[in-house]
Parts: sequence; structure tokens; C-alpha cells
Amino acid sequence: MKRANKAAVKTHGANGRPAAKRKRAVVELPSRFYGSPLPGVKPEELSGTLVVIEGTDGSGRSTQISLLTEWLESEGFAVQTMGLRRSYLVGEDIDGLLAENSVTRMTLALMYSTDFFDQLERRILPALRSGLIVLADRYIFTLIARAAVRGIGRDYLHGIYETALRPDLTFWLNVRPEVAFDREFKKSQTISYWESGRDMSLSNDLFQSFIRYQSMIKREFEYLSKRHSFIEMDGESSVSDLNRLLRKRIAAHLGIRSTHYRPSHALSHLWR
Amino acid sequence: MGIVTTATLTTTESLPIKEPVPKRQYPGALVVVEGIDGSGKSTQLYLLKRWLEIGGYRIHFTEWNSSPLVRSATRRGKQRRLLTPTTFSLLHAADFADRCERQIMPLLHGGYLVLADRYIYTAFARDAARGCSPHWLRNLYSFAPTPDITFYFRAPLDVAVNRIVAGRPKLKYYEAGMDLGISLDRAESFRIFQERILNNYDQMIETDQFVLMDGTVRVNKLQKLMRQIVGERISLQQFAPKKK
Repeated sequence: MKRANKAAVKTHGANGRPAAKRKRAVVELPSRFYGSPLPGVKPEELSGTLVVIEGTDGSGRSTQISLLTEWLESEGFAVQTMGLRRSYLVGEDIDGLLAENSVTRMTLALMYSTDFFDQLERRILPALRSGLIVLADRYIFTLIARAAVRGIGRDYLHGIYETALRPDLTFWLNVRPEVAFDREFKKSQTISYWESGRDMSLSNDLFQSFIRYQSMIKREFEYLSKRHSFIEMDGESSVSDLNRLLRKRIAAHLGIRSTHYRPSHALSHLWR
Repeated sequence: MGIVTTATLTTTESLPIKEPVPKRQYPGALVVVEGIDGSGKSTQLYLLKRWLEIGGYRIHFTEWNSSPLVRSATRRGKQRRLLTPTTFSLLHAADFADRCERQIMPLLHGGYLVLADRYIYTAFARDAARGCSPHWLRNLYSFAPTPDITFYFRAPLDVAVNRIVAGRPKLKYYEAGMDLGISLDRAESFRIFQERILNNYDQMIETDQFVLMDGTVRVNKLQKLMRQIVGERISLQQFAPKKK
């Protein structure tokens, strides 16, 4: 069992390893943002922890976030979550844009960035100021990857998000596109227009389109993973195995001694 | 052509007439007007547009913040005062991107003369006055085509502010820069905010090759000058109606 755990966790770059120790020593002020901080934000006020879970649809992100939330709350930590299209400001507008096909790639990319920063500034930063744990169901990396495969420059995208907050931990739940397809299809009996990249005219066959699109996204993630020191996790391992590994990492970062956890009755259906 | 007063020409005379944008990828041309509220820019662009329309030229007029796609979000954000400098800026950039990708670029590729009432420099001047980093803003709008001519209408702060305040019962919250907390008095806040924007515009005169226009000059005289400059810098024949 132990050996399997080790194999499932791969870290990239120097930052992946002793993250917990760095945090404990002194809060590194300049490193909390990629570039200059957002106007009016004092990095030293942010005492909370930002944990990002990245991965494509079908990688098990939301399941893991539900379980981690329950675990953290049982340990006495207050949790705030964020995700794509959840801002009050433009969340519904993006839903509307996605429903019609008239939106162009740059507009969509910038609407997503508006959605992101609205949540960051009005929900996430206040939560971090109050010392909460923020669990992000996707973050700037998905937004960068999606726009980059559509031909928007990576430097341009990094420039937009340079005022974003750098996560304390970024987990990448990596699954093969074929596995993601199986899971998504099982869940909704169909494959969504955008998750299969149909706007990119990759193939008229939905399966081919999905695989090609997700493979392109995955390549972007491999690049981002190196650049931003993701902790890569095997998204194809069982929910409970993956959850244990996530807890272990987060516990080390937060200084929680015991990582014992059994889901409550309400969440037991996720534990398979 | 000679009746134009020298006062209005201070910059335009000394400015070498350059090739608009080197190696442009499209046959169209882009003329934009910039300046603070009350500088007279919209009136002048309107008159330019009428002149070209009456002449039958292939033109299209576009203005800032006019896309229905993000209108509801902008309205919601403004009504509830939810906008931060960053989201304010990004929302306007999304709106501009929509216009750029669906109107301006196709029209430039299709050989139109595009007239824009406000352009990316509005965002540079206004959003920087709100505290966004100029570097970040430049990157944000780097997808926008460079104009062939950028007319910068400049009027003294008092003149411009009085024109706006006199014509409007109440200044709007964001328009007055109330989100910046400069002053609780709306008129005072508006004035200070406009002053900051004016200063930001002034700094772009050289870097972005603005054609400086004196907004205090009589409307018809200024329009004559504007038409003259457009005629000199853009080969209007290519937009002229085709003779049968």
C-alpha cells in the first residue's frame, strides 16, 4: 500500500518538496503573487492557505473537494471554495455566452478572467485575510491552458494572471483522456460541446474531438506543471487512495498530525 | 487650406507624417479619437463621420462600451458597485475584445475605414488612474491593432469638467471615480479623477504618436483641421465609392 502511494505522487521542480517547512518559517511576502499584487492588496494580511485542485472534467476534482472540505472542517478549519463561472459578477453571463456559439476566443478568455478576479478579490482574499483554507476547484492554469490551445499567447495569458495569488499547494489530478471520456460519459450520457473542444473543429467525431482536445490541454498542463511546481497525482487511482494522499500533503502543510478520516454518511457514496 | 490657426497645430506640425503601421496585415484603416469627457472628441468624430458618409465612403463607426454581450454584467457591477479596478478593467477589455474580433478586425480586413470613439488609450488612461499597473494594461490590450491616426482632444480641465457637470443632473458613481475614495463630494471626486486621466493621456502623446487637437478651438475650424489631417495621412480614394 505504502509503495503504491509513493508511486502515485510525483513532484516537479524544487518547490514541490518541502513546501510545509518554507511556510512555517516566515511568510514570504513577494512570493504570494506572481507579479505585482492586485491594487490595494497587502500580502502580509493573507494568513490563510490556498489549495488548488486542477484537472480536466472527469478527473475527480469535485469529489475530492467535497471530501477534503468535510475532513478539514472536522479538523476545525474553516473552508471556502471557488471554481469557474461562480462569480456573482459574470458567472451567469459566461453560461449564456457558452450556450450560444457567437462568442470569440479572446472575449471568452477575458470573461473568464473577469470571473476569476471577481471571485479572487471579493471572496478569496477576504477568506484568506480571515485565515480560512481556500479549496479552489480549478484555477488560472485551466484558464491559461484552454486559451493557449486556442492560439492565445502564453506570455499574454501569464501577463493577465500575474496579479493573481500564488497557491500554497497546487495538485494536478492527471488522468488519460480516454479515462476522462469514460467517466464523463457515464456521468451525463453525453460529452459537452466545450469539453470536447468542438469550437476548434478538430474532428466531426465527438470521441476523436474529445481525445484530441484533452490531449492538447494535457500537454499545456505538462508545461504548466514544470513552470509552476504542480504536485502531480494519479487521478486514475481510487477515490479513497487519492484522498489519503491529498490529506497527507495538506496535513503536512497545515501541521495537522493525524490524517485519519472516514466520510460521513452524507458523503459515503463518494467513497468507492 | 491655410486658415487653420497655428495654436491648434503645435504638435501636428512638428510631428513627422509616418507610415501608419508598418507592414499592416489588412487593407483597411483605423482612425480613433481620445480625450477626457467634455473635450469635444465625440462631436468632432461625428462630424468627420458625416463628412465621409455624405461622400459615400466605406466607413464604420464604433464606440467604447457598446457590446450587448457584456452589457448586463457591466450594468450589474455598476448598480451594485461590485467592480474593483481589476474587474472593471477586465470587463471593459472583454467588451473591447468582442468588438475587436467581431467588428473592427473583420472590417479592417474587408477594407473599411473604421472610426472609433475612444480606443485602448481610454483604458490605459482611466484604468491606470484607478490603480492598475500600466504594464499590465499594455499587455491586456496587446491584441488590438494600432490606429493609423489617434486624435487626442485636449481641453483644459476646467473647461471639460464644466461642460460635463453643466449638462448632467448627476454624475454617476464610477464615472466620478467614487470607487477610489478620493472625495465624498461627487463633483470634487470627478474633477480629481479627470485630472489624473488627463495627466495619463498627456504622457502618451509622444509614446503613442497622438495628434494633439485643441478642444477649445471653434468646432468648425477644428473639424476642418481634422479633415485635412485625415486626407493627408490616409489615402481616402481606396475607401471612395466605386464609379460605375
